[in-house]
Amino acid sequence: MNREKISSQEIIDLVATKASVSKRAAEEFLKVMIASIEEALLAGEVVKIKNFGTFKLLWNEPRKSVNVQSHEEITLAGYYKVGFVPDAVLRVQVNEPFAHLEPVELDVKTNANDRGEKNEDAALDPLRIFTEQATEIRSLISEIQALSSTPKTTIAEEKKKDEDIAEINQFEKFPQIDLEFQDESETTDLIAEQQEAQTQQVNTHDISEEEIEYVLGLPQNTNNDNSQISSELPVTPYLSNIITPRKNRTWMWLLIIIFSMTALGAGFYYTYPPATEFTKMTLAKCEYSVTKISEEISSSEMIHSISGWFAPSAQKTLSPETVIIPKDANDFDSINQNQPVDSLQVLFDNPRVYSDFIASERIKNGSRLTIMSKRYYGSKEYWVYIYEANKDQIQNPDDIPVGTLIRIPKLDLRLIDQANPRCIKKARELHDIYIR
Amino acid sequence: MNNKELIASMALKMNAPKSLVAVLLETTVITCTELLVDDKTIGFQSFGNFEVRKKEERLSVHPSTQVRTLIPPKLVVNFKQSNILKDKLKDIPHHE
Repeated sequence: MNREKISSQEIIDLVATKASVSKRAAEEFLKVMIASIEEALLAGEVVKIKNFGTFKLLWNEPRKSVNVQSHEEITLAGYYKVGFVPDAVLRVQVNEPFAHLEPVELDVKTNANDRGEKNEDAALDPLRIFTEQATEIRSLISEIQALSSTPKTTIAEEKKKDEDIAEINQFEKFPQIDLEFQDESETTDLIAEQQEAQTQQVNTHDISEEEIEYVLGLPQNTNNDNSQISSELPVTPYLSNIITPRKNRTWMWLLIIIFSMTALGAGFYYTYPPATEFTKMTLAKCEYSVTKISEEISSSEMIHSISGWFAPSAQKTLSPETVIIPKDANDFDSINQNQPVDSLQVLFDNPRVYSDFIASERIKNGSRLTIMSKRYYGSKEYWVYIYEANKDQIQNPDDIPVGTLIRIPKLDLRLIDQANPRCIKKARELHDIYIR
Repeated sequence: MNNKELIASMALKMNAPKSLVAVLLETTVITCTELLVDDKTIGFQSFGNFEVRKKEERLSVHPSTQVRTLIPPKLVVNFKQSNILKDKLKDIPHHE
């Protein structure tokens, strides 16, 4: 195993090239990352990094030990250690080489053997069923010949096994030969039938011929109860007729279904692209009309969006940007929901710079940053911005010495929007950071 | 402290936008994962080492059913804290 150790410097280089940032930025980032994790851990918190793992402090209990030299009992003090539990994503990726292995139950060996036998049974099944059926048929034939009463069932069964009939006939041989002895004592009709059966055996290879012979042989065979057989005889040819057309019909249906599906797909394919282009066009139209109402559009932009209607593929890339950008520049919040939200997020994420001030106040007894915030910005939540602007003057926002000059910064109106809950949420977030 | 909070606190410390921090954190995680998959040991100075260890296959016996199961070998990520971090942790009092 190749145990190459990667130092943090190499990690920094890799991250810098991958994220295309300067090495100094990457170095600072890594330092801050480790510092933040450490800080949180020292504060007793659990640190979770997405797709990587969870860091957690684990307490090792103090334990007793013996000094090897002096045989004195000593207690080792308990201590914390950093436990790391890799995330499922990391775990799976690292374990890739062994991923195909699964726990094996060892004591199930006997069961597995059983299963193998069962499988063998299954393999032998057709043969067994076949021999069973053969014996069944044999007994049935003997019954027919003894009683000459129920010939229909044998025929029906033999019909089912048309394919195997050659082999069945081999089994048939025996009973019929055996029965010859009985026949001598029976009616002449039965002898005739047997002769026919024997001729059957001679031309076993021709199935249909044999069937016909069976059918022909039946009326002679079953003179005793004509009524029963005459009603049931037509069944065999009828069945054979019915099976073949049904097969044909299923094929027909399959063909029809496949054909109709391909036709449907083709139709859909031809109609869909124009439909999407149409929606894009209408979208562009809507955007265009909205912007027209809200603000002036320079003529070049107008040409862009209009040309977009007639060349939808070109419009895809051009018009959304050209139409939306002017909206961003002005402070229009209400028209398009997505764009201002993103710009607000950018505003939140970027560090604020305070250069313009609208007023300044001196701290008196009973002065509060929140009260100032309420007075200037309309809500006490926004005191954090006053604090941020005067960070160099204030050590503790809860305890500001009397006489401190507080400058009230001019804030971006979007940042202190009363109607937007996101602004208040952001201010509260900052509040939580500062008041800890 | 979850991923979001970590990013927030880091952004505050670095005085950088959260989005940048998030991207950097993600790339770091991906880089580390790739290195670990390549069976490399990653050492962060003053923090600790990440390394991949092989857990050998073993036989486990189910205590109640006595069914013996062969557990296949696997590779796991192991973290060992550095002595510097260990010393820092010694200072925290144990309260429970």
